[in-house]
Amino acid sequence: MKGIILAAGRGTRVKPLTYEIPKPMLPIINQPVMELLVRHLARHGVSEVVVNTSYRAPDIENYFRDGSRFGLHMAYSFEGQLKEDELIDEPLGSAGALKRIQEHSGFFNETFVVVCGDAIIDIDLQALLDFHHQKKSIATIALAAVPLEDVSSYGIVVLDQQSRVLSFQEKPLPHESKSNTANTGIYIFEPEVLEHIPSGSVYDIGGQLFPQLVAQNAPIYGAEIPFQWLDIGQVTDYYQVILKALRGEINGWQMPGIEIAERIWTGCNVRLDLETCTVVPPVYIGGSATLEPGCTVIGPSYIGPGCRIASEAHVEQSVVFDYTRVGSNVNITQKLLCGKYCVDADGTTLDLRALDVDWAISDARSQDKPLDDLRKELITALKEMKPR
Amino acid sequence: MKIQLETKGNVAVVTVCSEAIDASNAKEFKEGMIPLLEKHSQVVFDMSHLRFVDSTGLGALLSCLRELHKSNGDLRLFGMTKQVRVLFEVVNMHKVFEIFNTVEEAVASFENQ
Repeated sequence: MKGIILAAGRGTRVKPLTYEIPKPMLPIINQPVMELLVRHLARHGVSEVVVNTSYRAPDIENYFRDGSRFGLHMAYSFEGQLKEDELIDEPLGSAGALKRIQEHSGFFNETFVVVCGDAIIDIDLQALLDFHHQKKSIATIALAAVPLEDVSSYGIVVLDQQSRVLSFQEKPLPHESKSNTANTGIYIFEPEVLEHIPSGSVYDIGGQLFPQLVAQNAPIYGAEIPFQWLDIGQVTDYYQVILKALRGEINGWQMPGIEIAERIWTGCNVRLDLETCTVVPPVYIGGSATLEPGCTVIGPSYIGPGCRIASEAHVEQSVVFDYTRVGSNVNITQKLLCGKYCVDADGTTLDLRALDVDWAISDARSQDKPLDDLRKELITALKEMKPR
Repeated sequence: MKIQLETKGNVAVVTVCSEAIDASNAKEFKEGMIPLLEKHSQVVFDMSHLRFVDSTGLGALLSCLRELHKSNGDLRLFGMTKQVRVLFEVVNMHKVFEIFNTVEEAVASFENQ
């Protein structure tokens, strides 16, 4: 089977994580979220995949290359242009992406699968395909039941008794919602669907193509096949997914690294003494990281490769990206530390550079700056001040 | 920088009418606070206008606290915005200052001593 992975979005709702990483490349411990997806597709008999790329396209293309490492053929449909040595992203929308690929080579010449590059799924593709063929559907949407109070975060799909799509509700309020089945962004399409997409314009599957097909009374169906669907819509979703991975709650996920004690995994070359540091599982510590004696790391927590956690630093239920130095007496509880940003579990974001707090959190590769009077005063005061 | 003072019993309620205490105005803030700290030992600080406190701002607040500790007084904070609260938690300042949700709670904490 052939497929397309939609990977062109700017990841606006996942800022600041996506300033330097496109959303599909956000790491789940040691591999990008899209790698989990690609491997799942390969296991389920997908042999050729085109990925539409735009925002930070080279990050995706240079990682997956021709896909042979992952057991399938991969190619890219770049949406944008090179201007003065800089790639300008000009995404075409999810449906526009399909049209462009089809017009390039007629790639979609058989039933194919469409997935978003930023979700973790374990759907049984064969079961979805069987449903699609049995219904003689031209477009089948994989649905997931969501709690009624959460429907306002999703595209809701309303079905009749035979699972045929009657209508869509985009992020309805709970009391206005006619169903609690959400569109997961996983579809099975017949090539004829592409004839309904206008050429050379920005066009969306959920917002434009589907309503148009329903209006034309085309046979579109919604499949309610239970599966794990971990959608990374917002920063807090990403944080929760990492905690799930650490707790072993992602289906089929194998924790990488060396298990040095029960549910404490590390990469190699880690400087850590479990006698002098307090480490409460589940915790993953990336390669070449340093945990100084006297520090505390309470799980579920992820410490990225090359990080340095100073003595008396406290990290709890947190995700710390690569090469972060967490200074002495610093308290990272329910936070995501990524580069220049600290994000609270509720989404509140601090720009660490603007706050000028390099004495507390910085890049582990930067040279320690000599402390000026203010920094000395702050560190001393925080050490000396008696905690209440 | 406008610093407002209101007294509730023995407690001075101080409001800084600025969105930030940072490198650009911390000196002005400290100078503005000196006469207040000389007159009052029980001070509560309205943080609700502050969206941004950087290292220099933290230093300024700490120096006010230390000044009051010298006279057996205290500086207590209330109405902290989420942004500032997160920074306080990260650098453990929330363990150094007593922090309350409302002015009433902050003022009452002195009365209940």
